This record gives sequence, structure tokens and C-alpha cells, in this order.
Amino acid sequence: MGHLYTSDEQIDRLVDFKGARDFHLKKDRRKRDKRMSLSEAIDQFVQDGDIFAETGFSYVRSPIQAYFEIVRQQKKNLTGIGSPMSNCSYFMARGCMKALHLSYIGVEMRGNDKNFARIIKNKDAELLSLWSHGTMALGFKAAQLGAPFIASKQLLGTDMIKQNPYVKVIDNPVGIDHDPVCLIPALFPDVCIIHVQQADRYGNAVISGPAINDIALAAACRKVIITAERIVPEMTIRDNSNASIPFMYVDAVVELPYGAYPGSCPGHYYWNREWWEFLIRIGTVTYENMIEFTDHWIMNTTGPYDFIDKAGGMAVIDKARRLMEAAQGTADDSAISFDYQEVIPKWDK
Amino acid sequence: MSNVAPANPLEMLAYNLSLMIEDNQIVYVGTGLPMVGGMLAKKTHAKNITLVFESGGQDPLDGCDVPWSVGCPFTFRKSPMSMEMSISFGQCAVGYVDIAFQGGAQFDMYGNVNTSVIGSYDNLKSILPGSGGSNDIGSLTEKSVLVGLQLPDRFPERVDFLTTPGYLEGGDSREKAGLYGGPIAVVTQVGVYDFEPESKRMRIKALNPGMTVEIAQMCTGFELLVPDEIHMVPPPPDEVLEVLRNVVDPRGVFTKMPGA
Repeated sequence: MGHLYTSDEQIDRLVDFKGARDFHLKKDRRKRDKRMSLSEAIDQFVQDGDIFAETGFSYVRSPIQAYFEIVRQQKKNLTGIGSPMSNCSYFMARGCMKALHLSYIGVEMRGNDKNFARIIKNKDAELLSLWSHGTMALGFKAAQLGAPFIASKQLLGTDMIKQNPYVKVIDNPVGIDHDPVCLIPALFPDVCIIHVQQADRYGNAVISGPAINDIALAAACRKVIITAERIVPEMTIRDNSNASIPFMYVDAVVELPYGAYPGSCPGHYYWNREWWEFLIRIGTVTYENMIEFTDHWIMNTTGPYDFIDKAGGMAVIDKARRLMEAAQGTADDSAISFDYQEVIPKWDK
Repeated sequence: MSNVAPANPLEMLAYNLSLMIEDNQIVYVGTGLPMVGGMLAKKTHAKNITLVFESGGQDPLDGCDVPWSVGCPFTFRKSPMSMEMSISFGQCAVGYVDIAFQGGAQFDMYGNVNTSVIGSYDNLKSILPGSGGSNDIGSLTEKSVLVGLQLPDRFPERVDFLTTPGYLEGGDSREKAGLYGGPIAVVTQVGVYDFEPESKRMRIKALNPGMTVEIAQMCTGFELLVPDEIHMVPPPPDEVLEVLRNVVDPRGVFTKMPGA
């Protein structure tokens, strides 16, 4: 694991507890209207060289449309982190990201990501550290708790530890067994974008369904952008007393219906399975395919509405809504079919 | 003569997985065949199990399809609550999960798992997705079950990269490293393996119908331990196969043989 594209300062900044604290202390405390457009939010708060944390679960409530805007704005020299972090693949393909703190990049049963594999093999991006989902999650959680580190029972005895300069194994100095434990430092990425079902104009945000690491990341990251399916009155959130993320963490609020599409958003829409199969089975296979695919779906789209039009429009997005409602048991599922032929579809340009 | 077609190798695999589960257990399932095994157990002999997933979904009501991802809505359909990821794995660590299933690109003779890289990071043959939840499940769960297709290069004497601990170097090395629990079985298209209690080496436990010790050894890159008596897995009862084919995986997403 080399440091071809990363400075020592970038490597240290991930675990700079004092630095993150000082950054948070200087944030504007005013409870103000933080609404802005997606392009303004990305332009202002995602900066070249940032340690960029993925949120959601790859294709579940992930702010994919905001990620596409990062690619369109051609941000440079981002370092990726997140568990999982499958969307980092196209950041690397489009030259936005050159380094990773790796937990997992892939689409589970759909297949391995050949773009990611090719880029690492060609040394067009570098792996700075290796993590499991759980240990990275603990690093973010430690940051949220304000704990400099958490001792865990993971990574012990493995080759993972040799490829992770941040963790350290010691004999538990405070337990009764003095057994080996792995110290996981609090992790402080620079920026994350979190897609939520509801937010108010100040940034109080409501997550429905699994929160994954997003509550921890909202506290850990120096800068936080919220994209939301709905902007609701503050009183709606107060009435339900159900915010997952408090306004003070948040720098920008973007109203962005369908912001997680072509992934899924609980309560709203199912994923576009065909799109992900294209990406993993055709798009990632060669460099040329990856460029063509991302040109078509990212560079040559302007936002979620445009994307949905390309993907099939109203019929496709309404079917996605019906499938999600059936899957979650909020609609009568008896007449809704999940039949789906795993095909290699023609890619219409 | 039954008019239910005999189980194909993937169906045998799913069936053997389901038999690892006892009723009322809390079961941590990864994506793919482990989900099918878990669902099959729940629909047959273990109706009161609770399923837990790494994205935080847990205790879902049965849905209208097999989950296609550990973050899919079927993993949190009408769940009483969803856990954050760190807390979900914490459930394994503090003893609220009985058994977990996981896949991998390589399993070795001590049940160590590789999901990171073939070759080495300095000399890459191919790069795999990374640990994901694999290390966490293998490190933290009391009983883990390894699931995969058995081929010599997927069952090497030593994994190219040790992502997830089995019994490390064998003997008491797992315990010495500070780890609890460990793998109790390996389930493949050939049969079921366990780990010899002293050496912690992989050992044949039972073979699927039609399989032999010779076939098992041919599919393995190290010398398998062979017990004095070889058990054969009885074919799954017709009613179990019907549940698997009609209810659990009706479209054959996970259990239909490629090309069939």
C-alpha cells in the first residue's frame, strides 16, 4: 500500500480528534434557513482533497443524485471512506477520487466491480487502509460519542491489521481477562451527504428504515449536506419528536425528490435493478464501457428528473413506488409482482 | 415413486444450511444462499427464528420475494425497529446472535476466509470487494457457518489473504488471538464439513447423495480429515423441496442451476 496520491496530512486528518473538534466549534451556530440548490451545496461544501464519506447502504437511501453532481462538477483528489462504499467506483472512473480507506466495493450477489479492480491493479488509485464494515462503523460511532477510540474484538489475528495503519492490538488493560483487543480510532471524514425522507429548512432530519452509519457520520464529519425527499415544517418534526440528525451538524439542506434513485429509498421507491446490473455486468467490464456508461447516466444528465426520464419516465418511477410499498407491506402486495428476469439488457444510447 | 424432482446441488446446499438452524435461534444472514437457507429453516423446522442483517434490518415479517441485498426492504419489512450498523454487529459481540452464515472467495483448512484479494496487494491477481461484514461476523459470532462452492483453488491449504478469522493456525490459536466462538461448519455442493476439536482442521462430516470421499478430496486443495464412518445426508423430504421451490425461491434466483 503506497502513498502515491495522498499526503501525510490527509492520512492524519482522518483521525485528528482535536482538529475535528476545533472545526465543529467554529461552525455557524445560527439556526438559519440552509436551503440551497444541489449544485450550490456541492460547489460550496465538497472541496478538492476532502476525505469523502459514503452514506446509506450503497443502493439504499444513498444520495446518489448528489454523487452524480460531484462527478459533473469534477471535484478532484477526494479520498473515499464508508461502509459500504460501492459508489466510489464511478468517482474513481471519472478521476474524482484517487485513494480509499476500503471496507467493501461491490454489488453483493450481482457481481464484483471490475472497474474498481482494474483501477487498483493499474495503480490509478491507492488503498490507504483496510476495514471491515463493523470496525469502520465503530470508528464513526466513536467520533459521534466523542470517544478517542473504541476497543473491539474484530480484526484480531488477521492480515487486515497489517494493512491498516490506524488500528492497534493491545491486551485489555481494564478488563478482567487482559485479553487482546483491537483499538479503533474515532474517524473524522471531512464531508458527507445524507439523503433522508424528511428534513426541515434548518437541517433537522428524519431517517426512516435502517440508518446504517449516517447518524454517527453526521456527528463525525466536518461538513454535512442533507438531501431530502420532502422539506417539512419544523413543527412536523417537533410534533413527532423523531429527528435522527440535529440541525447544528448540518451545513446545507437540499430539497431533492428521487435523490437516492436509481437506488431505493424506504417509504418512497424501490431500486432500479436493471441499472445496477448494467453497471456491474457491462459498465464496469472495460474502461471504455465505464466512460460510456457514466457519460450517459451522469455527465449527460442534469438531475433526478432528467435521469428518470432517461430510465423510462413516469411508468418506471411509479412502478418503483409500488414495489417499495409492496415490499414494506404498506400496500396490498397480493397483486404486485416481483417477477424479474435477470437479463443483459440492450443499452439504448 | 415421488413425482417431486430430486434436489439439485444448490438446493442440497440450501437444505444443509437450513438444517444448521435450530428453532428459536437468532440468525445473522449474509446475502445470497445464506438468506435462502435461513428462509427455508423458517418455513420448515424452525418457524420461530429471528433474522438479523448487517444493514440494521432485523426481525422482518415474511415478504413477497427473497431479499436481493442485506439492505433490501425485505430485511426490514414491518420490523419493530432497525439497528445502526455498529450496534447490529454489537449484537453478535455481546451474545445476542446464535449463528451466522457467510460466503467467501477462499476458505482454508482452518476455516479462515478470504474476501479481499487473490495473490497479494503487492502482486495482484485479482481484487475482491473487501471484508464488508465478513470479518465482523467471523470474529464476533458464537457459531459461524461458511458457505460456498467447493473447488481446489477456492479451498487452498492457506488463504492468500486472511480477511476473516477461522481457527487461524489451528489448535488454540484463535483463542490466543483473543477471539471467542468460531466456525462450526462448512457447507458446499459436496456436503458438510466440521472442524476436528483438537487440531481445528476441516473434516468431512456428511456427504450429499451421490458424493464420495474421493470427490470431496478432488474438490479440495488440502488434505481433508476423514472420519472412520462417513455419514450421508438423507435427501430432503418432498415437502421441504416444495417449500423451497414454491415459497422460498420461487423464481430460482439462488437455487436454480445455471443453464438449467
